Amino acid sequence: MKKFLVTFLTVMVGVAIVAGVGAFNAVRQEEPPVLVANVVGTKKAPSGEEMPHAELYLDVYPNSSSQVPPPNTPSPINRVLLDGQPFYHPSTSLQVPAHSLVTIHFRQYDSGGEIYNPYFADVHGTVDGTMKWNGDVVTGVKPDEVGHTFTVHQYPESNQPYFFMSIPLPMNKANAKTDKMGYPVDPQTISVTFMTGEAGEYVWNCEFPCGDMYQEFGGPMQTRGWMAGTFDVVEV
Amino acid sequence: MSVDTATETKRVFGVEVPQPRQFGASGGIMRRLNFGTGLIGGIGLAAIAGWVTAIITPSSASNDTFAPMEPTYVYLAVLLGWAIGFMLGIGAFVGPLRWVVGRDITHDDAEYMAGKDLGRARYWKYTTDHKVVGIQYLIATMLLLGFAGLLAMLIRTELGMTWAELFSPSFYNSMIGTHGIAMIIAMIVAVTGPLGNFIVPMMIGARDMAYPRLNALSLWLLVAAIPMLISSMFMGGIQDGWSVYQPLASQAPIGMLGYQLTIITFAISTAIASVNLMTTILTMRAKGMTWSRTPIFVYGIFAASLMGLYAFPFFQYSQILGLSDRVFNTSFFNPLNGGSVWLYENLFWLLGHPEVYVIIIPSAAVALELMPVFLRKPLFSFNFAVAGIVGVVALSGLVWAHHMYMTGWAPAANYPFMLSTEMISIPVGFLVLVAIGTFWRGTAWTRLPLMAIYAVIFNKMIGGVTGIYLSDVPVDQYFHGSMFVVAHFHYMLMGAGLFGAMAGIAFFFPKMTGRILDERVGSIGLWTAFIGFQITFMSMFVAGLQGQPRRVLQFDSQFNISNWISTIGAYVIGIGMLIFLAAIITSWRSGAIAGSNPWGSKSLEWQTETPVPLENFPVLPVVTERPYDYGVPDPYEAELDARDQDLTEKAGIK
Amino acid sequence: MSGTNASTLTPEEPEAPTNRPPSMRRIKLWLQRPYARKVLILTVLIGFLLLPLCWLLLAAMNQTGAPASDIMKDIEQTIFVFTLVSIPITAFVFAVLLYSLLGWRRVTGDEPPMQDSPAIRTNTIGVILWTGVSSLLAFFLVVWGLIELAQITANSYGSISADEQPGQPKSEIINVTGQQWVWTFEYPQHDGLTSDVLYMPLDRPVYFNVTSKDVIHSFWAVELGIKIDANPGAITQTGVTANKVGTFNVRCAELCGMHHAYMQTEIRVLEQDGFDSWVRESGGKKTS
Repeated sequence: MKKFLVTFLTVMVGVAIVAGVGAFNAVRQEEPPVLVANVVGTKKAPSGEEMPHAELYLDVYPNSSSQVPPPNTPSPINRVLLDGQPFYHPSTSLQVPAHSLVTIHFRQYDSGGEIYNPYFADVHGTVDGTMKWNGDVVTGVKPDEVGHTFTVHQYPESNQPYFFMSIPLPMNKANAKTDKMGYPVDPQTISVTFMTGEAGEYVWNCEFPCGDMYQEFGGPMQTRGWMAGTFDVVEV
Repeated sequence: MSVDTATETKRVFGVEVPQPRQFGASGGIMRRLNFGTGLIGGIGLAAIAGWVTAIITPSSASNDTFAPMEPTYVYLAVLLGWAIGFMLGIGAFVGPLRWVVGRDITHDDAEYMAGKDLGRARYWKYTTDHKVVGIQYLIATMLLLGFAGLLAMLIRTELGMTWAELFSPSFYNSMIGTHGIAMIIAMIVAVTGPLGNFIVPMMIGARDMAYPRLNALSLWLLVAAIPMLISSMFMGGIQDGWSVYQPLASQAPIGMLGYQLTIITFAISTAIASVNLMTTILTMRAKGMTWSRTPIFVYGIFAASLMGLYAFPFFQYSQILGLSDRVFNTSFFNPLNGGSVWLYENLFWLLGHPEVYVIIIPSAAVALELMPVFLRKPLFSFNFAVAGIVGVVALSGLVWAHHMYMTGWAPAANYPFMLSTEMISIPVGFLVLVAIGTFWRGTAWTRLPLMAIYAVIFNKMIGGVTGIYLSDVPVDQYFHGSMFVVAHFHYMLMGAGLFGAMAGIAFFFPKMTGRILDERVGSIGLWTAFIGFQITFMSMFVAGLQGQPRRVLQFDSQFNISNWISTIGAYVIGIGMLIFLAAIITSWRSGAIAGSNPWGSKSLEWQTETPVPLENFPVLPVVTERPYDYGVPDPYEAELDARDQDLTEKAGIK
Repeated sequence: MSGTNASTLTPEEPEAPTNRPPSMRRIKLWLQRPYARKVLILTVLIGFLLLPLCWLLLAAMNQTGAPASDIMKDIEQTIFVFTLVSIPITAFVFAVLLYSLLGWRRVTGDEPPMQDSPAIRTNTIGVILWTGVSSLLAFFLVVWGLIELAQITANSYGSISADEQPGQPKSEIINVTGQQWVWTFEYPQHDGLTSDVLYMPLDRPVYFNVTSKDVIHSFWAVELGIKIDANPGAITQTGVTANKVGTFNVRCAELCGMHHAYMQTEIRVLEQDGFDSWVRESGGKKTS
């Protein structure tokens, strides 16, 4: 009887420890709250069809300040290591409706430089392969004037449509006028429109080396909530 | 302190034997040091080192990639402070410091350090008695296995929840990396630590190891390394798998320093332990124990120590260079500044391959050691077992690049490495031959240690055959980096390695603890874990065949079913292992008291009393017989002899 | 002297030092022992039970359209043969393990068995048989593997420029760049056309120059059976001829950071006209 009790207790304690540690860490996720695109009416697709149209607003800041708080970072060491690093605001967990046209408006406050892979200095995957930059329609920016990119790419799931989109977000020049927080007074404004198909889950990350460590792809670039996140297409 | 003690003599078997002159008095601080003071020293020095470094490092310090360097320097200082402080506090430096001031470790001190008359307290101190070190290794191994097992359960939970991401990708990558390295470290010491230390000196008829103080040092270095590994999980984690390939490891947060220092410390511990075991086996065997009378377990431990000794420094160097890249901005592995990523891969796998033999040879050796006892017949073809072990050691250093077939490093080198890798299956096959030859026509005394061997051999065959697939370069072109590889090495390291270690622990439990391991609970635990193991890793083979890469937390839905089944199997393993742990706990505390030789073994270690006295044997034994001298003459051979006689008589030959 | 009856042995016949019958007779005598035949029968039985594995392994691999190239077919054939060749020894080992529990004596209880087993220290014939068979099998596997590797290498690496032979299909060169965490492809023969999806022509050899912009990745075209690491600072090469139209997968097979699991893209193998029209439509730097 005693043996059975000790055995039972050992198993229960073991299971409890596993469940406890697992639950604790699962709750301490780095995923910020989901930012849902608002449906604002309809828009004409290139094929002529009227599709529902949703909009999303994202800002990219070079560092946090009293005006713009950093993303929620549950891990204390990450808060120390990522202090002063760039991030997307207000969230990196994005949700857009399926079978729609979606427009994302970016405001880019950061500087930049030369991108490693010139492929990402061009626009890919938008409705007509173009983006609107400060009012002009362009198909890409110069590879040495990129600030960040917004690259949505494949989830390892074959039951959902293939989706790939990459937009370069140009940099603010060094002599731009800045406000007292250090952000440019006139940030780069970019908007892109793309079409979504069936529902699916995707991820996105920045492809410009704006982090630290080797090749500057560490730090915020490897942390969800900062320079990488999720991108869900859901049926509405 | 510098008073010469007068010439003294000691009565040994009625004869006065003069003792060497000793300088200095006995006792001192050394007698008050233990694990607690070690913790105080470690935490204290870590805090001081961290604080001083934080003060003297400018907070804007950064390297050329804008990474803040202050956290790196502070963490490095904390880790080094912890290691040095802990070793100071536990009394590791007593010997060298005394030597510096001209004070001997007197005979009384040596007996104190061996734990004479200290009772339970000796397990918490820097004790040199090999039996105490063996038990300490056992506890450390079980703690590491528990920690890594916990991570395994979380990993499988994430992989089983295919509809959601329970943990973030960074945390998941960190979990698999920490699980990997913790399990590898635990398995390296699993047999060589507890059994190599506790049993081998007794098995060869010696009183202790060749270097008792180094023995304690190697254990406490391992204990010092474990918190470093655990701390890395709180510092951003090891997000790069257990092999931490560069240059990916250069991108990781500062937790990587914890990994690098863990390995650097552990490599020192392993080197010391290897030298100790090898010297003991080479020089301290009992009179009459020639190499052909040495048990196979001793051969296995010797082989593992030899491989660990030549291979571990490569791993250590790779981490030292990686540390240097990170802290001092060198570019050993940074290809943009002239470094080479292939250099890291080569250094790593030069250890990475011999290391799996370091894990598996002791398990195989303990299996072969216990089989004659439970089958009551000698080991089949002892010479072939030795040949197998020697063959594995000889070839172990020539096969490492089969982990690098797909790197594009040297495509022409794939041919010779494929040849050597296929060839190494032959000496390993010798060991399987010896095992089944020993089973052949044996009376199976179906106790837990023997039943576990069935599990070991079954898993070894599956692991071995799947290894043959992976050794073929074109097939590896499909399987490399997929879950097939993961299932293969789990079959070898866990299926054959861990189950073999469990068999060894069950076998030597009566000698180590004075009690018999509860058969019923232990068997239920072992076989539950075995069944769970088959479920988990057979379906993992399927996932690999289907094309699931490894180290991914999300995957195509075609892999869902395999992963669900694997996760359920993993939970079953977890429960089985917990039941086995419960068996160990209950038996240790209140199991049936064992006599000195409950298995009826003819080996030297079972001829000691239980509990084993401090100096093992009252008189050092002299060996006159072959090992495994069990068995009665073969009745079939007797029949053949009788027929011979018959035929000879009939033919009229005298 | 074979076939002589034991009762007619003459003084010239005995072999020193004893009068043991020749090896073949010994083997036949051995086979008369009850356990010997049973173990061999058990081996054959277990072997037959394991035989379906040869096909089941391939069934697991072929769920998404594999094999889509000759290399993949070679790989599958190798797996089939290796499984077949491994079955005899595996079955024998399992048979001995099983028989030791069922056939020979078994003792339970707290005390060691009273009676020891036969003291067989070695068996020369058994050892020679095992060593010989396992070495032969290993040798066969090595030779098979070496020949196959040479064939695959001849087809994938090398002579990229010298492939314009009359009668041979023209080869396509694709530069693969792995970057955390996206694969991009460049077609130098088509004015630097770039793409995120790997379009390949059917039945034409394609050579890949693979590199990485940051850490080590591994370019794995799953159903085509090729894989090569993408190393920073170096260009590695591989090649394949796709012989099946369809959509397949490229996965990254080397842990490369946070989104390693998501570093996947598609392979679309098209007939030559489909491929040409894709090139035309995407002319320049536009994709999907």
